[in-house]
Amino acid sequence: MSRLAVKVGALELRNPVLTASGTFGYGLEYDDFFDVAELGGICTKGLSLAPRAGNPPERICETPASMLNAIGLANVGVEAFCREKLPKLRERGVTVVANIFASSTEDFVAIAERLEAEAGVHALELNVSCPNVSHGGIEFGKDPRLAAQVTAAVRKASKLPLWVKMSPEAGDIVAVAKACEDAGADALTAINTIRGMTIDVDAERPRLANRTGGFSGPALRPIALRIVWDLAGAVSIPIIGIGGISTWRDAVEFLLAGATAIQVGTASFADPCAAKKVLDGLASYCEKKSTTAAALVGRARG
Amino acid sequence: MLARAQLTAPLLRRESIGDAYHVLTFDVGKDLGAAPGHFVMVRGAEWGDAPLLPRPMSYLGGGATPSILIKVVGEGTTRMARAEPGEPFSLLGPLGVPWRAPGAGRRPILVAGGVGVAPLIFLARALAAGGKKPVAIYGGRTKKDLPLDDELSALCELHVTTEDGSRGTAGRVTDVLDGLLAEDAEVFTCGPDRMMAAVAGICARRDVPCEVSVETPMACGYGVCLGCPLPSSDGGYVYACTQGPCMDARRIDWSRA
Repeated sequence: MSRLAVKVGALELRNPVLTASGTFGYGLEYDDFFDVAELGGICTKGLSLAPRAGNPPERICETPASMLNAIGLANVGVEAFCREKLPKLRERGVTVVANIFASSTEDFVAIAERLEAEAGVHALELNVSCPNVSHGGIEFGKDPRLAAQVTAAVRKASKLPLWVKMSPEAGDIVAVAKACEDAGADALTAINTIRGMTIDVDAERPRLANRTGGFSGPALRPIALRIVWDLAGAVSIPIIGIGGISTWRDAVEFLLAGATAIQVGTASFADPCAAKKVLDGLASYCEKKSTTAAALVGRARG
Repeated sequence: MLARAQLTAPLLRRESIGDAYHVLTFDVGKDLGAAPGHFVMVRGAEWGDAPLLPRPMSYLGGGATPSILIKVVGEGTTRMARAEPGEPFSLLGPLGVPWRAPGAGRRPILVAGGVGVAPLIFLARALAAGGKKPVAIYGGRTKKDLPLDDELSALCELHVTTEDGSRGTAGRVTDVLDGLLAEDAEVFTCGPDRMMAAVAGICARRDVPCEVSVETPMACGYGVCLGCPLPSSDGGYVYACTQGPCMDARRIDWSRA
């Protein structure tokens, strides 16, 4: 597998295929399907300081080659994660990226400090881009100054590699990315979902109780790829590409655009083995082309 | 432990019941142990990027050739309704919590609404195998909304209701249920939410146990997407995929459902 190994900053991953936060639970639900430890890593469901029940139904809706979700960051909370989930992930040898979110810088820091005390967390991913909660991270993610502030605060509190997940809803996403880089981020994950909406014509009401939901899936892919391309040309820290990746070919597109690693998201809903298939496909491709994953990074940029 | 698996299996046959209802039977080649009340996530293996998500379907039958009953409501079920034998489908199952075993000394009453009859026929077959002939009440808007009524009739002492009176008693399942509900009864119901809420209400009033099989939109089917909550009676949520689809009706706050 060394053909597939990549470095995201100081963090070495056995391969560039990760699963996206919110689409892969806590990585413990897949025992019947494949060995999750084979992946480059998993990003956990977004963790908050206290457990959260989430939004009322309907929370999800299918849209053309895509879906909307407004789960509302339902999660067990960082404490239960550390006590009940993390030991099992550690035992299985899974590379764990803890996705965390909060409505204040203080809470971001508190969650980071709690995770710092545990073995088995390999990186933090700051969710400053969830569109589905009223006081979630997205306000941080739209404003370069706020994004830098929360990044710097967590940077100071934690020695773990720090990834910041970008919102496509930022007015100037390159400015947010540069601000996070300057504030000490080790990598940027791009992109989170973008808000969408659908209305039930018969009921004459929005289908989602939250009215809007995060738009994800294959239909989002060209937008995500364009943003990855833009960011890869603007910052010198690694980019983790995400947005509608369903097959190994999609993954290669993101690598060629300049992503160092990728995350498989919504595709895992359609097929729980999607990330494993992306990984196997990428392995065969690199073998056939006598190349490495790292060598593909940015190769389409000329 | 359940041997749940994701596999690709060809459609063995499709039987149409009017325009709106179809029974799809798949050739899985081995028995994965689906019990009455379990569900399966179904998606055409060649659908590409759309429809994107698999559809949660209760098993109508299990074994090596499991079947589902579909009602055409959207793009996914439209594609299923046109599928020809041999077409590959991706099946992820068996999933969820099946029907609980009827209590000792209790007389099961099955209450079905439209396409919700599927998991109840599977249950009735299991009861028949154990020498029991339960009472069943089957309701639909019109006589066209009672797919597989003949099959249910062969397994149960069947009462039919239609809202327009085109078959059986004119009215709703609840109109008949009230009269049939003895103290030793135990109700198993699947159908539209409003029907199940009314059935659950009657059972609660009469202090009779009631088990429901719920249906919600769902992306994954195994507890990851968290897209399938129902308001629970403790003020939070229960998830249809891992805490259901079959559960005690009292776990759901029907006033918020």
